[in-house]
Amino acid sequence: MTPVMPSAVRLAPVLGLLVLATIAAIGIGSSFMPPERVVSALMGQGTRMDEVIVWKLRLPRVLLAVLAGAALALAGALLQRVVRNPMASPSVLGISDGAAVGILVFLWMFSDEGNNLIVSVHWQPLAAILGASIFGGLVMLLALADRGGNRSLKIILYGIALAALAKAVVTLLIILGPVYRASQALTWLTGSVGAAHWDDVLTMALGLALAAPFLASQRLVLRQLVLDPESAATTGVPLERAQFILLATAVALTALATAHVGAIGFVGLVAPHIARVMHGQFRSFYLLSTALTGSLIVLSADLLARTIAPPLELPTGALTALVGAPLFLYLLIKGRRYHA
Amino acid sequence: MPDFMARLSGVTAAYDGTPALGGISLDLPDNRIVAFCGPNGSGKSTALRVMRGLHKVESGEITVAGRALGDWSPKELARQVAMLSQSPQAPSDLTVEDLVMMGRFAHRGRFSGPSAEDVAACGKALQITEMTELKHRSIAQLSGGQLQRAWVAMTLAQNAPRIFLDEPTNHLDVAHAFELLDLIRHLSRAENRSFVIVLHDLNMAMRYADHVVLFKQGAVTASGPTQDVLTEDAVSSVFGISCRILTLEGLERPVIVSWGKNRG
Repeated sequence: MTPVMPSAVRLAPVLGLLVLATIAAIGIGSSFMPPERVVSALMGQGTRMDEVIVWKLRLPRVLLAVLAGAALALAGALLQRVVRNPMASPSVLGISDGAAVGILVFLWMFSDEGNNLIVSVHWQPLAAILGASIFGGLVMLLALADRGGNRSLKIILYGIALAALAKAVVTLLIILGPVYRASQALTWLTGSVGAAHWDDVLTMALGLALAAPFLASQRLVLRQLVLDPESAATTGVPLERAQFILLATAVALTALATAHVGAIGFVGLVAPHIARVMHGQFRSFYLLSTALTGSLIVLSADLLARTIAPPLELPTGALTALVGAPLFLYLLIKGRRYHA
Repeated sequence: MPDFMARLSGVTAAYDGTPALGGISLDLPDNRIVAFCGPNGSGKSTALRVMRGLHKVESGEITVAGRALGDWSPKELARQVAMLSQSPQAPSDLTVEDLVMMGRFAHRGRFSGPSAEDVAACGKALQITEMTELKHRSIAQLSGGQLQRAWVAMTLAQNAPRIFLDEPTNHLDVAHAFELLDLIRHLSRAENRSFVIVLHDLNMAMRYADHVVLFKQGAVTASGPTQDVLTEDAVSSVFGISCRILTLEGLERPVIVSWGKNRG
């Protein structure tokens, strides 16, 4: 077996890049702050002004990007293993759009005329989870009921169909729903970490902190799932239970991220692939590598979104797709090495 | 030690409503090499799959290793019965070594790395399948025969006392097919392991099996010691071919010669 040390060492590049991107993302903004000032502000040794900018304004946004990227990337990696298809991701399977439907219905039902929510905004993630579960669950039920042919291909096909349906529902809700919610909903549909608060960061962190030990306990099961279902079952994997639990985890992670940053696309699809090429999908810490890659992508995309056309801020999701899509194409064309 | 590795009683099974097993009852002795023989679509693979819990039965009862099939947890059952299915699949970038380690799933700790026992079991499985030198290759780099041996190694690494093999000599040339069956006989005699093997080649079954089960159209037509079951009449009627069973000098078991439907 692969020894542990070299696998851990392989995390160094992505970890290093993430630290650099974090410092850059904190430093770059309407007032530029050089790295040494960023670091001292982070350590609590900067000027009062610097500390306010770093701790109040920029750090929540940076951390939210890091956490949401990790959650979406993990959801993608889980889905790709459960479905046994490298095309699987939260957006392809209709889970992201399902979460969007959940949130829009929530906003529609619980807003008053004055643009205020009549219930706590903390229920919003729950609405996202509900929407994501309904659409993700429908995809799986349809695929299970379909007895013919390739199951993993069927899941993708039903996913694409239901994602399209969810998108249509979202469009209708935006047009027919309360007008004052429309522009907020639009930004959020492309995905943005712009409105980050420490509250969001804490909820996301809590969600990931709960998922992490569970995923660590499932790492052997996840690896075993790359085998065909019969071989996996004969080695002792409780197949249906494992698939259900991991799918539910992917839905929860997607919904959590979507509730806080919107439907940021491509991260869930691309991050696991990059980690496969850069790290190796059968090495220890593959999931960690995937999560860090996801963080790096969303953080970099947000950095670009803020700096590409100042003072205009583009939605983060627009940039992840802009960076993610060509990268994915490149990997597809180059990557004969990794069939799932 | 139960006397039977598996007992089936009145087992029926179907694929999408098409019947595959029509109420078969079967007692399979432990510590033996059992061969399932019969024409294509006669139910032998299905029988193997229902015995391993891979396919749901419509009715009937199955006992494996002395306990009802449904009472085993997936991991416990995996420690009792390993199985190699007909066309297993793994990602092409998986190395032989990692594939074989996957056979250790039911033994491994949830959080720890492979134990010394896991490493030893994999090393032994690689060695007896002559795959040690190829262990760092990815499975995309293997020939058909090497790939089949890699899967056999994974199945052996599971270290189960009972092993089900669905046409394990597929993709193997004659020499490697004999080698595999010699290995199976060795494991059966030296380590008291039990095997159920779906075999197409009747001469292989004649030569290596202790017990043969003949299937025809989802039913068991005969089950018993090899030479009692593989008779000229039984083979002719089950396969619809003419054949002669001959004893050759120097061979322990007779050979089956067949020449198709017509009398030659």
